[in-house]
Amino acid sequence: MSAMLDVQNLVKLFPLAGGKVVQAVNGVSFTINRGETLSLVGESGSGKTTVGRCILGLIDATEGDVYFDGEQMGRGRNIRSKALRGRIQLVFQEPAESLDPRIRIGETLGEPLRYLGMNRADRDRRVRDTATHLGLPERALDRYPSELSAGLQQRAGIGRAIITRPELIVLDEPTSALDPTARAEIVDLLIRLQAEFGTAYLLITHDLSTVRFVSHRVAVLYLGSIVEEAPSETLFAKPLHPYSVGLLASVLLPDPELTRSSAIQLEGEIPSPIDLPPGCPLAGRCPFADARCKTEQPPPVMVAPQHFVSCFHHAKVAALDHTTDNFARFQEDSTRLLSVGAG
Amino acid sequence: MTGVPAAGSAILEVSDLWVGFPSYREQTLHALKGIDLRIEAGEMIGLVGESGSGKTTLARAIMGLVPPPGVIERGRVLFNGRDLSAQSDAARRSVLGRELTMVIPNPRAELNPVLSVGRQISNIAFYHLGVSRQEADRIALDMLRAVHIPDPERRFNAYPHELSGGMAQRVVIAIALVCSPRLVISDDATSGLDVTVQAQVLDLLQTMVREKGAATLFITRDIAITAHFCSRIAIIYAGEVVEIADRRRFFARPGHPYSIMLLAAFSHNPALRARWTRAEEIAGATPSTGCAFASRCVRRQTRCLNEAPSLRPLASGHAVRCHFPVEAQA
Ligand SMILES: Nc1ncnc2c1ncn2[C@@H]1O[C@H](COP(=O)(O)OP(=O)(O)OP(=O)(O)O)[C@@H](O)[C@H]1O
Ligand SMILES: Nc1ncnc2c1ncn2[C@@H]1O[C@H](COP(=O)(O)OP(=O)(O)OP(=O)(O)O)[C@@H](O)[C@H]1O
Ligand code: SF4
Ligand SMILES: [Mg+2]
Ligand SMILES: [Mg+2]
Repeated sequence: MSAMLDVQNLVKLFPLAGGKVVQAVNGVSFTINRGETLSLVGESGSGKTTVGRCILGLIDATEGDVYFDGEQMGRGRNIRSKALRGRIQLVFQEPAESLDPRIRIGETLGEPLRYLGMNRADRDRRVRDTATHLGLPERALDRYPSELSAGLQQRAGIGRAIITRPELIVLDEPTSALDPTARAEIVDLLIRLQAEFGTAYLLITHDLSTVRFVSHRVAVLYLGSIVEEAPSETLFAKPLHPYSVGLLASVLLPDPELTRSSAIQLEGEIPSPIDLPPGCPLAGRCPFADARCKTEQPPPVMVAPQHFVSCFHHAKVAALDHTTDNFARFQEDSTRLLSVGAG
Repeated sequence: MTGVPAAGSAILEVSDLWVGFPSYREQTLHALKGIDLRIEAGEMIGLVGESGSGKTTLARAIMGLVPPPGVIERGRVLFNGRDLSAQSDAARRSVLGRELTMVIPNPRAELNPVLSVGRQISNIAFYHLGVSRQEADRIALDMLRAVHIPDPERRFNAYPHELSGGMAQRVVIAIALVCSPRLVISDDATSGLDVTVQAQVLDLLQTMVREKGAATLFITRDIAITAHFCSRIAIIYAGEVVEIADRRRFFARPGHPYSIMLLAAFSHNPALRARWTRAEEIAGATPSTGCAFASRCVRRQTRCLNEAPSLRPLASGHAVRCHFPVEAQA
């Protein structure tokens, strides 16, 4: 069985004035199966949004191919094409981008169904049904976006996407603008909707603390290259790329006992992706970098089923034994804490 | 002018502070409702609350700069024994930027775009410390080094737009700390940064305030940060401190249902999270008489709707504003 979404060796360059080139995406490949969540994580400027836009056919890739349901995506066949309408959806970081401030929430939710040619009565039924799934109070349907909290607005943004029962939703930083409590509620909602409708998600985010439990698989993007890809638990428990180790060690959990002890210190900050030198994208910051890393791009190596790492020295990372999975320990501690005294 | 205070003396004393924003069309919005907060020399206290809970209003009130149309309705703020809101602008200016400084997010907007970053630090030193221009430049260069700006001699002459977000935030920290202030207020200062950069900047801020012996009021929406960088935690909800405790005590035995809801947001057990979260109601449902948190509280009972709880001690150094606090077995 072939994957629902198949991204092959995607490259996206943005030429700048003066002959320089932004190498936003440099040969990214991954697949997403039906009903599955793949998270694409990486820091600002790593190319996440650009990958998303290529997948949706909103911009043409410089090189490489994207297949959705066996057929190629691009300008001619994109998220807005009639043949694909409603089958792929997009959710933005700012709910304001999916919600028109002058249109009531209920109307906005039903809008994508109009393009599908659904009649008024069916639309209204689907809107009410979707509101129930979203945990949106019925009263909210008559409100304007500005009358709702940021969390409820993002719920409506997701509702507008899920209402067509799409096969794939691309979520670009859906929780980054929210308070932690609202963020958690959106994550729960995404999990519930997926269980219900079997929708696949491409979750684009830099918020690692929500990634682990929504994702089946996680791909770590650095300067336009996927440096590691693994099932979620594997990546969080035993990352093998020096960058993944550094990234995960930077995540803070609300427990003073779970200190950030990283066996690997990354130097400095992520450079800008203009005219990148050859070799491994991390070479300038990596404690393991040697001459080869600076000239040769490390290919992805399969270290276990579904676990790929692009690092010449991943065996050295493995030997460091940095296996304390703070996320799992936190899960245990917080379960104990939260098990007392609720209403 | 001011000597080093004895251990345990308060740098900041906020007592029964009420701040309101009057409005023509609606009732006055009470952004702060009776805040009591004492910060001792050298401590780092985390103030955590959601958007709109009053954190920035408190920071501004401490600096004596409540934004119009806001007014201090009751209570007072003493910084180093003085009420800044009662001082002349000139007197206040000599305190702000030197003894009391602030670090905010979006450092590029904070910095002057047409002045080199070295010069901006140097100006502060020159203005507040009464040193020569040359000495101020030397101090500024030392500060760039101290905040780990790579190649500081060259970066001294760089303009803000030539720096990454993380580097610009380091410069802002350098500006805040160059005069060895007594209190630094950090208002959501790392929220726009990537996680790896945020971790570096937080480590730096912590090291720097320790070295300089400053106290810190660390304001954030992210309770996770405070677990690692603060000695005490205060939780603010709708303009009231609802819980305050030492860090270890707080994270081991949180007492207020709202604190636990904040912690639950990081749990990835949806069932447990649901136990601590009541479905959000659409604005305006809060009763004016009872507990401000009642509409979202999973432990509320009839009493909560009729009677506002006061901030009461649960243990030494640990106080909770709740009729039915959770007393965890830990
Ligand atoms: N149209 C464009 N022209 C030139 N450069 C671009 C363009 N779009 C993106 N870039 C550059 O490509 C790189 C990747 O950008 P992208 O927006 O994909 O990153 P991202 O991972 O989504 O970052 P963020 O977390 O900040 O949203 C960045 O360096 C960005 O400046
Ligand atoms: N200048 C102003 N005029 C009117 N109301 C204001 C003003 N400044 C703040 N408020 C109100 O006071 C309350 C507290 O706002 P404040 O900015 O202190 O919250 P905050 O905790 O800092 O939130 P955030 O995390 O979003 O920064 C809010 O209801 C806000 O709308
Ligand atoms: S006083 Fe009542 S409503 Fe308020 S937090 Fe405590 S239990 Fe909840
Ligand atoms: Mg992006
Ligand atoms: Mg604020």
